[in-house]
Amino acid sequence: MSQHHHTENNIQHLYEGDQSKLYSGVMQHHTDISSAESRKQVGRIWKVFWILLAVTIVEVILGMFFSYSIPKGFLNSMFLLLTLFKAGYIVSVFMHLGDEVKSFLITVLIPLTLFIWFIIAFLADGGFWLHMNSTAPMR
Amino acid sequence: MAHSATAAAETKVWGGGRSPFNVSYGKMMMWFFLLSDAFTFGAFLISYGTTRFFSAVWPDPNHVFHAFPFMGHANLPLLFVSLMTFILIMSSVTMVLAVHAGHYGDRKGVIKWLLFTIIGGICFLSCQAWEWTHLHHQGAWWGSFTDSSAPLSGIEQFFNMKDPRVTGPLAAHGMQATHDFYNYFFTITGFHGAHVASGVVLLCLVLINSINGTYDRRGHYEMVEKIGLYWHFVDLVWVFVFTCFYLL
Repeated sequence: MSQHHHTENNIQHLYEGDQSKLYSGVMQHHTDISSAESRKQVGRIWKVFWILLAVTIVEVILGMFFSYSIPKGFLNSMFLLLTLFKAGYIVSVFMHLGDEVKSFLITVLIPLTLFIWFIIAFLADGGFWLHMNSTAPMR
Repeated sequence: MAHSATAAAETKVWGGGRSPFNVSYGKMMMWFFLLSDAFTFGAFLISYGTTRFFSAVWPDPNHVFHAFPFMGHANLPLLFVSLMTFILIMSSVTMVLAVHAGHYGDRKGVIKWLLFTIIGGICFLSCQAWEWTHLHHQGAWWGSFTDSSAPLSGIEQFFNMKDPRVTGPLAAHGMQATHDFYNYFFTITGFHGAHVASGVVLLCLVLINSINGTYDRRGHYEMVEKIGLYWHFVDLVWVFVFTCFYLL
């Protein structure tokens, strides 16, 4: 990213604290906070805010008024989908993970796929215990 | 730096001299810390789910969380926690605006948005303190509801008593379920609240440094970005806590 301003040779001379300079954006000559580029970025942040707010309001309305009328399984899948939707926006825009290089994105996200197995295994175990407890003969 | 570059040249693997991920060491380590923290929170929430799955009954969030400050006994399910969620999302926006101002070296902007973020964090913690106090007044705390011979009238307020699938097993399993529910509730929201509280402390330190011009002298505002990552993560965890405890 800051390759235009620094040759490899220059970079060798930077000490650890200076390394942050390379990647923090300051060397891309972002100086004018009221530039069109900056305002575009701020607009994107507020757009994500409105999306998160709208999704939360939908969740609360579903929880408040429909928790006994819509089938529980369907309602819960809706909640989980909307939650993942919100999480995606927070991570990719607010935490800028969407702007990082792909190899870093993958490094962070791959360990999280373990959760798929965790959730299935542990919830199935909990359900099996309930089944055993309610069907086991009384001793 | 020079050392690692030489070593890399000898092994002919990676040229060295710059981050292969195009991020600084500090920011990468913040991401890896957050990854490990995600597993801690994930383990908490999954064990909550497991306990819930093996309980024949479970407290109904619409009955547990229905109070609002100064509204007396008005039945307003989920409204207060929605307010808390709104506050935390809002503080996430002000945080990302502080990070943005930092990218442009705009010190005044960083200070302004950090202040708003700190106020948001304190508001959230105050709301949580109120909620905990309210639940405590209803008899809920760690280790409450352990006496299985206590009258059911003490826990009926937490359940949906219109559903025969709930009222049936309530006498046998209600007390244990209420006990489990509140242990998890206070542990997980408490752990999250502790994260918010440490976040507020970190934000105050970054604010003091910004006011003192430390980051201007350093030449970049990356510290704001790193603490920002932590703050967004705390918001992210709340999104999941909100779903698990208040919606599902």
